[in-house]
Amino acid sequence: MKFSESIQKLDRRYIYIVVALAVIIPLIFPLGLKTYLTTPVEDLYKHIDEIAGRDDMAILIDFAQSPSTMPELYPMDIAILRHCFQRRIKVFTIAYFPQGAAIVEMALAEVKEDFPEIKQDVDYCNFGYKSGYMFLPIVLGMGDDIAKAVETNSEGNMLENLPIMEKIKNYDNIQVIIEITGSTPGISYITYARGRFGVDVAVGVTAVSAADVYPYLQTGQLIGSLGGLKGAAEYEELVQTFAMQNLDYSKKNASDVDWREKQYSLSSVPYKYKKARVGMDTQAVVHVLIILFIVIGNIGYFIEKRTEKHKYVK
Amino acid sequence: MKRTIPLLIVMTLGFLFVAHVFIPSKISQDFFDWFLKWTKVIGPFAVVLGVMSLVMVHSTKIRRKAHNWGYSIVALVALALTTATGFIWGIQEGTPYMWIFRNFNVPLGATMFSLLAFYIASAAYKAFRARSVEATVLLIAAIIVMLGRVSIGHAISHWIPDITEWILNVPNLAAKRGITLGVGLGMTATSLKIILGIERTYLGGGKD
Repeated sequence: MKFSESIQKLDRRYIYIVVALAVIIPLIFPLGLKTYLTTPVEDLYKHIDEIAGRDDMAILIDFAQSPSTMPELYPMDIAILRHCFQRRIKVFTIAYFPQGAAIVEMALAEVKEDFPEIKQDVDYCNFGYKSGYMFLPIVLGMGDDIAKAVETNSEGNMLENLPIMEKIKNYDNIQVIIEITGSTPGISYITYARGRFGVDVAVGVTAVSAADVYPYLQTGQLIGSLGGLKGAAEYEELVQTFAMQNLDYSKKNASDVDWREKQYSLSSVPYKYKKARVGMDTQAVVHVLIILFIVIGNIGYFIEKRTEKHKYVK
Repeated sequence: MKRTIPLLIVMTLGFLFVAHVFIPSKISQDFFDWFLKWTKVIGPFAVVLGVMSLVMVHSTKIRRKAHNWGYSIVALVALALTTATGFIWGIQEGTPYMWIFRNFNVPLGATMFSLLAFYIASAAYKAFRARSVEATVLLIAAIIVMLGRVSIGHAISHWIPDITEWILNVPNLAAKRGITLGVGLGMTATSLKIILGIERTYLGGGKD
């Protein structure tokens, strides 16, 4: 068999083995590649950070996700919750998918380990699972009265009796709704919550959906977005640089840009704080590998095409 | 009657909801709020139907010992077990429901999605060919975006992430917006056809 033919007819199993190695090796031996920030992530971080320490404002996170998208989306959940707990930003969580409700429980339990002083229903409130059929009544109802629209938290307690709701009434007290989703990103919130009540909306999406959000970012209908594991890694980096040092991002001096160039040594950072960034090493290697596959595959294709052409001429 | 009454309901409510959007008066708002309460009733019916359908499909497969009927047993046992643990102990962290979720649902779901990387790599090698000018443009754009979305692209040149952002912000955005507008117009046209009774396939077959 000729070289070009062997390239074209390479057994898939070899490709799978190489991909598996490209995934596993950087996880065992991290490359420590730097994370570069993009504007949609920075905008979202800044927008959330603006309400640090306020008890009359909160953010709402919709966990529209399932275990299949967890490798990309769960690090976002963790990074945003850590930012909020560290900077004393009030958080509401909700899930219209049963599996999303379980992911909320997991994420809250994981982040709370580092913040024993953070109290449920005081500093954060998990609205729990609400049926997908209730999406519209709840989203529209929250524009008038969150406690009335949602009614109960995940443990069945009436929201109107909870301390967190004392100064929080409706969307006027919601800084941003973040939908972290493996499906259509944020469209329903843009239509109903932003369109009708003017509340800001942002999304966290899987990498395959990241391109879908650009039209909404350009029009300002989305104030920010986290795209795939990279988005999570960027947010994680901002949390480590600012929130973990208790630095106020909105008061950051624009000329003080050296933090952007700062290269963190991740080796001393515990895994729970660098989940996404560790994964980015793997993603970088796999991206390069896929590009190599495309190039090699095309080399084989062109050699074969040229050979066939020569045969035809003869 | 079986077709006329549903058609009348769809027509009346369709026009009322369109009017609600364009006439934001108190009456239309109250009507909309009242109607939203009815949606609470639909949910439980859908759950019952879904569970019934799942049980019927899989129990039939088991009874007939159809191909891979063993998986149907697993599906039914998983359904019963997860539902029972959720009802008995709740769904909070630390309950058996969460144990099932962490130890079965999460690894199984993540594994299925992870397979995508292998298929993409294989497809990139086997099928992604510069067969035409359009395919070549797509191929070059894909390579730049793949590099620009990881740190290696930035390390090679700061132009790569910049070009990536341009691709996403200009050609991608233009195409996406065009598609969105097309979908929107299509949805409006289809909705109008349904409201006016021109499109009736949703009623299913059968006699009047």
